[in-house]
Amino acid sequence: MSDRFGNFSKKLINLKWVVILATAVITVFFGYHASRLTINADILESLPDSDRNAQLLKEIGVDFGGNSIGIIILETGNVYDTGAIKHINDLTDSVGKIEGIASVSSITNIINIKGDENGIEVGKLIDSYDLPDSQDDFDRLRADIANNPLYRGSVVSEDETSALIIFYLQEGADVKSVANAVIEKTASLDLPESIYYAGSPLLVSYISDLIRNDLVKLLPIAFIVIALILFLSFRSWAGVVLPLATSVIAIIWTLGSISLSGYNMTMISNNIPIILLAVGSAYAIHVVNKINLERSSNRPEPVASGLKAVTTPVILAGITTAIGFVSFIFGAYLDMIVEFGLFTSLGTLYACVLALTLVPAMLSLQPEPPRQSRQTEQPKTGLLEKGISKIASLTIRSPKKMLLFWLLIIITGVIGISSIKRSVNIQEYFRPGNPARKAEQIMIDKFGGTNPVFLLFKGDILNPAVLRAMEAASDYMEASPDINATLSVADLIAELNYAITGSRSIPEDPEQIQQLWFFLEGNETLEKMVNQDLTQAIVISKFKSPDNQSKQVFADYMAAYLSKNESPDYQIEITGMPFVDITMDQSLINSQIGSIFIALACIIIVIGLILKSMRFGLLATIPIVAAIAILFGIMGLAGISLNIATVLVASVALGIGIDYSIHIITHFNRLRTSCATMESVVSQSILTSGRAIIINFVSVSSGFLVLVFSDMIPLVYFGVLIAVSMISSGLAALTLLPSVLLVMNKRES
Amino acid sequence: MIFKSLLGLCLFVGLVSHSYAQDPQDILVRMDALMSAPSDWIATVEMTITNRKGVEKNHEATLKQIGSGYRLYRYTKPENKAGIASLSLPDGDMWLFMPSFGKAIRINLLSKSQALTGTDFSYEDMSGIPYSQRYAATFENALNDSEYLLNLLPKSNKTSYSRILLSVDRKNGYPIQMAFYDKSGVYFKKAIYKYAKKGKYWYAEEVTMTDLTRDHSTTVYIKEIRFDNGLSKEEFTVDMLKNGSGNK
Repeated sequence: MSDRFGNFSKKLINLKWVVILATAVITVFFGYHASRLTINADILESLPDSDRNAQLLKEIGVDFGGNSIGIIILETGNVYDTGAIKHINDLTDSVGKIEGIASVSSITNIINIKGDENGIEVGKLIDSYDLPDSQDDFDRLRADIANNPLYRGSVVSEDETSALIIFYLQEGADVKSVANAVIEKTASLDLPESIYYAGSPLLVSYISDLIRNDLVKLLPIAFIVIALILFLSFRSWAGVVLPLATSVIAIIWTLGSISLSGYNMTMISNNIPIILLAVGSAYAIHVVNKINLERSSNRPEPVASGLKAVTTPVILAGITTAIGFVSFIFGAYLDMIVEFGLFTSLGTLYACVLALTLVPAMLSLQPEPPRQSRQTEQPKTGLLEKGISKIASLTIRSPKKMLLFWLLIIITGVIGISSIKRSVNIQEYFRPGNPARKAEQIMIDKFGGTNPVFLLFKGDILNPAVLRAMEAASDYMEASPDINATLSVADLIAELNYAITGSRSIPEDPEQIQQLWFFLEGNETLEKMVNQDLTQAIVISKFKSPDNQSKQVFADYMAAYLSKNESPDYQIEITGMPFVDITMDQSLINSQIGSIFIALACIIIVIGLILKSMRFGLLATIPIVAAIAILFGIMGLAGISLNIATVLVASVALGIGIDYSIHIITHFNRLRTSCATMESVVSQSILTSGRAIIINFVSVSSGFLVLVFSDMIPLVYFGVLIAVSMISSGLAALTLLPSVLLVMNKRES
Repeated sequence: MIFKSLLGLCLFVGLVSHSYAQDPQDILVRMDALMSAPSDWIATVEMTITNRKGVEKNHEATLKQIGSGYRLYRYTKPENKAGIASLSLPDGDMWLFMPSFGKAIRINLLSKSQALTGTDFSYEDMSGIPYSQRYAATFENALNDSEYLLNLLPKSNKTSYSRILLSVDRKNGYPIQMAFYDKSGVYFKKAIYKYAKKGKYWYAEEVTMTDLTRDHSTTVYIKEIRFDNGLSKEEFTVDMLKNGSGNK
């Protein structure tokens, strides 16, 4: 195989201009397609149809005019004020005209039905063309809301300081552009009240904006930090430019591939550039480092010989890292995580190919320096080399102590793992004081949360038995501490019956229901509660607690009710974001465990096959198992929860960590036939690979630590955890793995 | 002779220029007069409501009306709505009779911009108050040989509309089309009228109101219309609403 790589290296150097030109052409091609990439911030679209909760949630979205609910919160001293009411009316009117919004409801346009001795009053709570302007008007309005269970605490907070403008997105609407239009429209009104945005479309759009802003602001800083460390390490332009160029080109090719395949950027794939910055530069660092070593050793044709030596480990590293990301396909709940896994894997392979083609082609353009100058350039007495020598001698001197040290660290990590919390609470994405976090808190404190819950009834909806079942189920739901209020067509019929007969109940006589229906028919509100042919209706509610345990308690509570309330007249099903969250939460664990085990198994097999030794395959995984134990241990002990962002870190740790092991193992494998003792094999392996490994983990960790300045908490943790993972997997590859190799091969030594 | 010819020419020019320089408000008054010309009328009303998915619903009712102030509307189809009746009296007084409850209920409309049960007509559209009382008319530039195009601006702000663009048949004075603009100036609703003449009266035998934002429409067909039946106001009482004698 090494002869084959030797021929490949020589041919590649001969064709260096073809390689450089081809890379440029391909980059322009992918760059053009990357520029046309669009962002899809809709998390609902990413829910899998294989999950009944997700499927039902999507069906409800189609049948009942959109379940993607956006909320504008208007906060002021007192909502019952002419100015505030006018502003709510302006917002309601303006937002309702935005393309992609199915309907809007607020205090200024909701239907109101009330009865008294003079008959019944039907109309909107407020006549938007004759807004209340006197104390009497406001007192009447206040009383109307307080007396109507449909609206109490759902359109105006009970402390009267906040009002909601709730809008429903049309099915298939572009979430991002609707959210932007809502924010722009609201800003253009220049209202004096405090305005907050809540609900999935606005929140998800806001999050993707924050991530994008963070990337635009922090990626260049990370880039500069990495470049600086690479310069200090290599002290040559090639050592700085080539690893970074490899990453950037791999990122462009990957984004272009996403666009060409017809996919969009998502909340998760937004992370691909920073991950490829970490993964992509590693291969080039190893190639540059090896070629530099060949040059400093005065080898003839240093580029070809360096490339020949490094091709196997770089290919292995590329394949194993790609496997790490592809493993996400198995067990991932969200489609967007599957897409992320596939494209990050592809990006890794691009970076690997570029490191083995573009980097040596560029390096071969450099004129070989004269012999004297080569000697002065030898960096063998540098601080880095001293450090690596120290690590090598420490490992060789007391491998058992080193093993004991790592064992203690791993045990501590494993203890920490038991304290890991899982969270799908979107509030945790923001720093305290962030307007999005405040909006979510206002919604929880004053309006019963933002997570929609739906009870779907199938049957003849105007059948009194069905309506009474809806009423009973609503009452049962409202008894849960996390449900503030429910709304259904049964409530409207009971309310209308109350206005006419004084009894707030579903009439016994089906004809009375038919005739009450006549009154309600055609009202836009109904489209969100009942389908056109009156065979399906929903009870709409919101779940308050962001806590997973509460969601599970509620799911069990409702499951008990549904199992006891089956009837030939109707079928009931329940769904909503809390139910999706429960599955998503469980999938975080499943996909994490599944992907790690699948990746480990594949990596063992691939390394075993290429190095013709399953033992090497198993040994190579030791540093990453240690790094993952440290990663999860720190997450558990520091209270960093496992969420849809931090769940990605382990794969990066695995992908990069395995590279370090591969470099040590392949050098160990190559050197053990040429070195006299096992100690010298291990020592040479550490000295050969150690420099590139340390440069790689120090530069990329420093770059990622810049993310601690991010506005998004998951990005902060992402940066810190990747740095921790890279440092721990790098150190484990340089100390733990060699110690294991030494102890296992003691007889030979 | 020359004098006579000149006089004739002047008269001709005067007549022609008068017909083009007619006051737009007068055109509106004339339209209102045409719409309320019969002293009373009785008809069968068929209504088709079509939603954005193309699903249709059909209703049928009998209608009795005196002028624009007294109106009794009683559903005959579909079966589950048969017998439901509404009575409109002057000054916005409105009553509803639902047979299964056995009583007439007074309806106080808090908002006239609200849609009439399931249709695209708002209570304001059905108020019967003459347009010339509610709107000030001006000519729009776009004129053609067969229609006047009027721009109607509301005299009061208690309306759903910021303006109505009205096409009026030049020859007969009935409305052909109305384009409704909301308070922020967006064209959001349109009505298309088909007028027919029976005896000496013109009447809208078909009106289609389309809500452009909801992609929802309502078409009303007036059939078996009879004018000047000698109806008296005593037939438009709550008792008449309840006992069903308002039928035909």
